[in-house]
Amino acid sequence: MTANAFLASYSAKVLEYTLAITYLILFVGFWRYVQGGKVAQAAKAVAHAPERIREAARGAAGWFSVPEAVYLHPGHTWARLESDGTVTVGLDDFAHRLVGPVAEVGLPQLGAGVSQGAAAIRLGADHKTVSMLSPVDGTVVAVNRSAAEQPERLGDPYGAGWLFKVKTSKLAANAKQLLSGEGARRWLDAAGESLAARLSPQLGHVLQDGGVPIHGIARELDPENWDHIAREFFLS
Amino acid sequence: MKLSRRNFLKVAGVTGSVGLVGLPTRANGAMSLASETPGETERAVLVDTTLCVGCRGCEAACAEANKLPDPPSDEKVFGELRATSPTAFTVVNRIDNPRNGKPRFAKKQCMHCVEPACASACPVRALDKQPTGPVSYNGDRCMGCRYCMVACPFGIPKYQYASNNPLVRKCTFCAARQAEGKAPACTSVCPSGALTFGTRGELLKEARRRVFGNPGKYVEHIYGEREAGGTNWMYISDVRIEELGFARNVGDASYPQLVKGALGVPPFVMTLWPPLLMGIYAFSHRKNGDDEHGHANEAQSKDGGDHD
Amino acid sequence: MTSVAATAQPNWFQEKILLGMTGRQYLRSLVTPWNFAAAAIIAVGVPLMIWRFAFGLASVTNLSQTQPWGVWIGFDMMTGIALAAGGFTIGATVELFGLKEFHPIERPAILTGFLGYVMAVIGLILDLGRPWNMVQVMIRNGTHSVLFEVAWCVMCYTTVLSLEFAVPFFEWLGWKRLYTPLRKALLALTVLSVMFSTMHQSALGSLFIIAPGKLHPLWYSPWIWIFFFITAVIAGISMVIVESTLSHQVFAEKFKGQHVDLDKLTIGLGKAGAIVMFAYFFLRLQGVVDGHAFGYVKGFYGAWWLLEMVGLVLLPAFLYAYGARNRNARVVRIGGILGVIMIVFNRLTVSLIAYNWDQPVRYVPSWQEIWVSITLVTVGVLLFRWIVNRMPVLTPPADAPAH
Repeated sequence: MTANAFLASYSAKVLEYTLAITYLILFVGFWRYVQGGKVAQAAKAVAHAPERIREAARGAAGWFSVPEAVYLHPGHTWARLESDGTVTVGLDDFAHRLVGPVAEVGLPQLGAGVSQGAAAIRLGADHKTVSMLSPVDGTVVAVNRSAAEQPERLGDPYGAGWLFKVKTSKLAANAKQLLSGEGARRWLDAAGESLAARLSPQLGHVLQDGGVPIHGIARELDPENWDHIAREFFLS
Repeated sequence: MKLSRRNFLKVAGVTGSVGLVGLPTRANGAMSLASETPGETERAVLVDTTLCVGCRGCEAACAEANKLPDPPSDEKVFGELRATSPTAFTVVNRIDNPRNGKPRFAKKQCMHCVEPACASACPVRALDKQPTGPVSYNGDRCMGCRYCMVACPFGIPKYQYASNNPLVRKCTFCAARQAEGKAPACTSVCPSGALTFGTRGELLKEARRRVFGNPGKYVEHIYGEREAGGTNWMYISDVRIEELGFARNVGDASYPQLVKGALGVPPFVMTLWPPLLMGIYAFSHRKNGDDEHGHANEAQSKDGGDHD
Repeated sequence: MTSVAATAQPNWFQEKILLGMTGRQYLRSLVTPWNFAAAAIIAVGVPLMIWRFAFGLASVTNLSQTQPWGVWIGFDMMTGIALAAGGFTIGATVELFGLKEFHPIERPAILTGFLGYVMAVIGLILDLGRPWNMVQVMIRNGTHSVLFEVAWCVMCYTTVLSLEFAVPFFEWLGWKRLYTPLRKALLALTVLSVMFSTMHQSALGSLFIIAPGKLHPLWYSPWIWIFFFITAVIAGISMVIVESTLSHQVFAEKFKGQHVDLDKLTIGLGKAGAIVMFAYFFLRLQGVVDGHAFGYVKGFYGAWWLLEMVGLVLLPAFLYAYGARNRNARVVRIGGILGVIMIVFNRLTVSLIAYNWDQPVRYVPSWQEIWVSITLVTVGVLLFRWIVNRMPVLTPPADAPAH
């Protein structure tokens, strides 16, 4: 074998290195493609946020609790069948924390009819009002006066913060539009993440008080237009 | 050239020449030069197919010595190129020499390679290379994985698929007879002198003498001199030996040498992986104050609490 | 779930084995079309296995003197072991890389791995001519042989898998004194599992290094052991995606009450799968260039190679990438299915199709070989189902800390 022929077998190495360099260049692009995208950017923003927000975002479903036997409406109101056959309605934990301290609560009249998906509740704060949708059809048979008079009661959204009760014959049909249990938690997870995506790192300081989820997230996010954000989630 | 150990070290030290390191010394024992013949002192056979008359006496002798069924006596067997089989350790094949139309015969059997692929492949050392030359098979150990059959580039090991206690079958080089000082059965009966039994070194010299001493008579190639790193059964002929039913793309590399790199990997993995993996573990658990088993402390993952 | 009839408290056997039902109830519950199909498969498969041991390999296989390894090695052993790689990939993900969110799919992955290896070993015992001599591997010095290393590593790794699986097994039996030390050992077992898996997954590829003349140049490479290891990682990821999706549907009951966001985990796996698949594509290209084999990309084998590289490596790589980027778990799952197909394709190609590629007479598996292989898969699935219905594999153990 001549020297030329001997070294010529290494020409493959040139091709290999060229291939490797091409690959490295392509790899950068591929990596960014896999990691990138707006949805993922938002998630990554949370990921780089201070530890607490990350914890909070990950535990978003825990932020917003939903007890068993409670059915959630996509507008963030809930319905619960009581042992006496009536259905209690309220706003869920997410709605409560989203809006924050409320100055006044407008509830339907006794005997009034409510329809699933139609506005039935009014929350007022900062001279703005946000409507919330009724989760079920029915006739109002009870109204929680103390919640209306002392809006702080909404702090226990599934208990003392109940808003009104209805009598309905359509709960089974209505329930088809409602979420419960695992599905409800997952949906709240998603809502929490969607919310977390809007959180900016500066918000970290708001959570410094022992990691309790802040009250009135919508207002923190956009003090001028918090009602737009709230309505977006409440579908109203 | 002999150097005493002291002189050797002195010279090496003075000149610092790396090239001197390769020289053999009596004190160092056996360090072989590249020009030494592999398997020089092992028993081997030279097959000169120009002398083979196709009597197939070797087949008959082999069958008798190994208690195999008699080979078919009909000449019709020459109609196609045969392979060995579980009941035939050797076969003689025939083609017609394209140059002069004369029939040419070649005996086929295990090549008893200097560095046998089958023995290196065998995980239980059922196949092993004896220092005297034969590649031996110990059926007691064999578990029937048939990796030897995958490894052998000549396709020699044959398997008793029809048996429920199967063995690998191939030419034994009559190791038992050799141990008694006798020649293998086939070489003992060959009437025409086509088979010459001797040592590999001698037979290579003889082969070269015949091939290069009779220009034009033989194809200038000794099949088995370098194939698969060298085999103990070597062939010279006036036709290309591959035409006579031998493996065509064997190559000169020793097959066990091919595997050396890959064999070296597992010990490195065993050494490197634990520190590497534990390093990854330590890195990924560095912040969380996890206990040593990697479970996050409960207090840190507090949340609304409706998990179960 | 309370039973309708007022029965006495079920005894241990009824509770643990019969899922709380009486014998008659349990047997009745077994009457399903799927179970019939499985029974039919096994009813033919087991006699075939007995036949093989009674009358030899030739009576049920199409193995020949030129094709010593057939479907039982190519599929049951090589493909099976690759598809069981989820055990070490997810184990490493959770225990070593600290990605705890993957914990819910860790135990099923280990179970799949354990059963996969058990079935592969049974397939091996069927294929070996003299399986009783397997012990020879333990007492002879065969370190010069790649198969020696495969045998030892598979033995060691199956042991590790058994120990890992023993945790839910003992939890099921309530034998705290046995599962507590095993749980503590999980980190060490995971390190060992990655180590042993690396060694034998790659060694299964190294088996072919000794046969350059027999394996087609587009697949033969001295670096085939790297390819086999990387595809094992891909197999682990893909198989876990597929298996967790199926488990989640078939065993949905078990997941109630757990906060398992399977879509999120799937997308995470898809991300990893995308990167590894992408790199693997270029690894194979490098192998072909290094082997000067580009001229072989023509004819049937060239087309076969292109099918593998483009259709089964590049395509799922992009499916994974697209699905991960756009948080689309369904696309990732399709990628997972293709990933599994890629492994099966690759292992069968290397062992059966590209092997002996230039021989005039080729091996075609016998129906008995195929049936036995299907039987082994069926038994594996049945065992998976049996175990998952009883032991804390998909469900957390009774005394698990809340996380």
